[in-house]
Amino acid sequence: MSTQASPASGASETVPVASAGVSDRWEKWGDRLNPLVVKEVRQGLRTRVFWVCFGLLLLSCLVLSLIAYVNTQGTSYSREGRTYFFSFFVCLGLVHFGVIPFNAYRSLAREREDETWSLLLLTGLGPRRILGGKVTSFLVQAALYASAVGPFLLFSYFLNGIDLPTILMVLLLGGAWLVFLTFASVCAATLADGRMGRAFVRFALVAALVVTFFQTLTFIFVMTEGRGRGFSFDRDFFLGMSAGLWLLLSDGWLLFEAAVARLSLVTENYTRHPRRVLVGQALLTFLGVTAVWWFLDRDKDVAGIAGILGGLHLIFTGLFTVSDVDGQSRPLRAGTRPWSLFRPGALRGFRLAVLLLLGWAAGCAGLLWASDVSAESVRMGMALVALALYGIIYLSVALLLGRMPKSGRFASPAAVRLLFVAAGALGAGVPPLLSVFLGLEAGDELINLLNPVVGTVNFGRYDWNDPSGLRMPPELLLCVGLVALLCAFAADRVLVRREREAHAP
Amino acid sequence: MSLLEVKGLRRDYGALRAVDDVTFSLEAGGILGFIGPNGAGKSTTLRILATLDVPTAGEVLLDGKSLVDAPDQARPLLGYMPDRYGTYDDVTVREFLDFFARAYGLKGAQRRQRVDSVMEFTGLIPLAEKLTTELSKGMRQRVALGRTLLHDPRLLLLDEPADGLDPRARIELRELLRALADQGKAVIISSHILTELAEICDSCVIIEQGRLLAQGRVEDLLRSGADASQVVELVVRLAAGAEGEAMGARAERLLLEQPRVKDVTREAGALRVRLELEQGSGPMQAEAAAAALLATLVAQGLPVCAFSPRERNLEDAFMTVTKGRVA
Repeated sequence: MSTQASPASGASETVPVASAGVSDRWEKWGDRLNPLVVKEVRQGLRTRVFWVCFGLLLLSCLVLSLIAYVNTQGTSYSREGRTYFFSFFVCLGLVHFGVIPFNAYRSLAREREDETWSLLLLTGLGPRRILGGKVTSFLVQAALYASAVGPFLLFSYFLNGIDLPTILMVLLLGGAWLVFLTFASVCAATLADGRMGRAFVRFALVAALVVTFFQTLTFIFVMTEGRGRGFSFDRDFFLGMSAGLWLLLSDGWLLFEAAVARLSLVTENYTRHPRRVLVGQALLTFLGVTAVWWFLDRDKDVAGIAGILGGLHLIFTGLFTVSDVDGQSRPLRAGTRPWSLFRPGALRGFRLAVLLLLGWAAGCAGLLWASDVSAESVRMGMALVALALYGIIYLSVALLLGRMPKSGRFASPAAVRLLFVAAGALGAGVPPLLSVFLGLEAGDELINLLNPVVGTVNFGRYDWNDPSGLRMPPELLLCVGLVALLCAFAADRVLVRREREAHAP
Repeated sequence: MSLLEVKGLRRDYGALRAVDDVTFSLEAGGILGFIGPNGAGKSTTLRILATLDVPTAGEVLLDGKSLVDAPDQARPLLGYMPDRYGTYDDVTVREFLDFFARAYGLKGAQRRQRVDSVMEFTGLIPLAEKLTTELSKGMRQRVALGRTLLHDPRLLLLDEPADGLDPRARIELRELLRALADQGKAVIISSHILTELAEICDSCVIIEQGRLLAQGRVEDLLRSGADASQVVELVVRLAAGAEGEAMGARAERLLLEQPRVKDVTREAGALRVRLELEQGSGPMQAEAAAAALLATLVAQGLPVCAFSPRERNLEDAFMTVTKGRVA
């Protein structure tokens, strides 16, 4: 008995030479494909879910087109296309925004539950290729569903009432949304390890998919109806759409890399790609914001809005980078330098998050300053700098609460994230209550100085009673900055200590 | 040089020490049984050896290369079969193996040949076009073993491979593993079914609470345990008859009156007698004590139809060295 390969059977010798050449080419082409794509598509096409959905989709589109045919038969000039286009899109949306993302989630979740995931990792495929193959296979299935609805969507164009740019715009947005939802679902499947956690994630995902399904359809309906009533694809629309598409694309990519990192083995440099994507996203977005700001005659609102939204985004993503585990595996330690911010470990994640928040706030404040030096620019600038400082304070507080105690009971990544939410909620909720209790205005400047919500609003608010128009003097921002510095320093030292302990022999 | 060397392996999960200073080695072609109660640290050790986890301290060398520092280089040399076989729905046996062969980077004709060869070795050819979900547990276990062999690894790590298998499937698995060892592959098996391990393995490692309690060749483990306690166990079977129960009770009383008999228990229609000898006694003294006991029983008119020493097995050695604690 031997596991050594026996000589190939003579089956291939009986195949004619020409067809053997073709099959060889197919085989070579197949060998280049990601094995996961081959397996998942093959598996997916065998499931009952696929054929039931495909059949129902085709049937419903056929019935709708027959209704459309009957309704428009007698009229010389129909304008029903918009209605039928939307109806066909609803059918496709049910599958694209519901079935595909959920199946992608379920596929990866099962892979983790059954431990086939670790077997795949041992083959040397690597988590990126595995996840990439999974996402691609579900997008291939989505394309197969779309092939069933495509002719009907085109048919709606010939019913009049909808133009090609609108159809293309809807399909573009729908496609981007499908890709984003698939990435997000795959990422959700990596979030929980325990049974309860998995049940919660599944419930949350289903709820989110249902809610976003109706939101997407509402958006598409408003857009197609608006186009019918004379709404044009003007500059603002394209700017908004471009920003939306960029966010979907870059956040989808970030979610994908986060999922890859969560599924990587600890011996791998698992944080390098997600942190690079995060930095790349911040840099490219800032360049985009700068371009739009320049294009719109140095409009300070662009810089102000981008500063606040970007700051919130960086605080949210920073929560995940700072709550990484302490230290890194032995093979990775040798090449790590103080500036190796893309390497694993909460310490480097924290430093990167602080730098990104400060850099983003400084960049957007710089744009505001370059717009003009009016009181409004100063207020907006102070608000977005304050937001970044609050982010640093509360991230540091969560780390201090979770990782300073020697017991390490609240040191896990999930505990640190929960502590951040709890600290943020207390910081936002308690000071206004205290102000009211003391007989002051709920948004009192001093009591709410460290309130992440009211404080940010106060720094950006116009004060009619003050000749400068500033409700909060810049000195108070310095105070917040000082607190942020102290908190960040303390958190950094705690993380340094914990890393030393984790690396101790 | 050993194919696998494990030195001072330690794994901490916070305050919990799952594996504590475990050291052992394995030659090519050897089969090592990894024994321990639930929670002893067997699966953690196997996961570290499979590069799915990293030790807190210690070193693992596979063919001279560090598994800890260069896991990517070590992975092609090892095959890991977890306690859950990990097969997919809606996939045939051939497709399943073909998928993993692709994942291991095998291409074209080489891949087909390898899949065929593994299916032939594991006896899966008649089931090639069957869905994996339609297979029995024993057959799914073969598919999992086939997957483990696709890239021709030098070290096989099998976590509870015989768990839940029927006797025939166990015997077939034993034959497959023997054949693999004869091909020069080193095999580590963790299992609770100790009688199986005794028949398959050349050597054993017993761990409890993450600590290594005993290791060595199976025969040495059995002998060392017996010598330490100076215990001889005998099985006495009386002829079945109308007064069998009464006769059994009489024999039990009589045996308990004998000087070296420490314990008598009834099991499966026989009496299990435990003799304790003096310090320094050897096989000669044990045989003499047994002969004296038999003479006494026969002299008292008891119908002894079988009288044999009960051979010490791996379960006894396991029970002797472990205390049933978990980490």
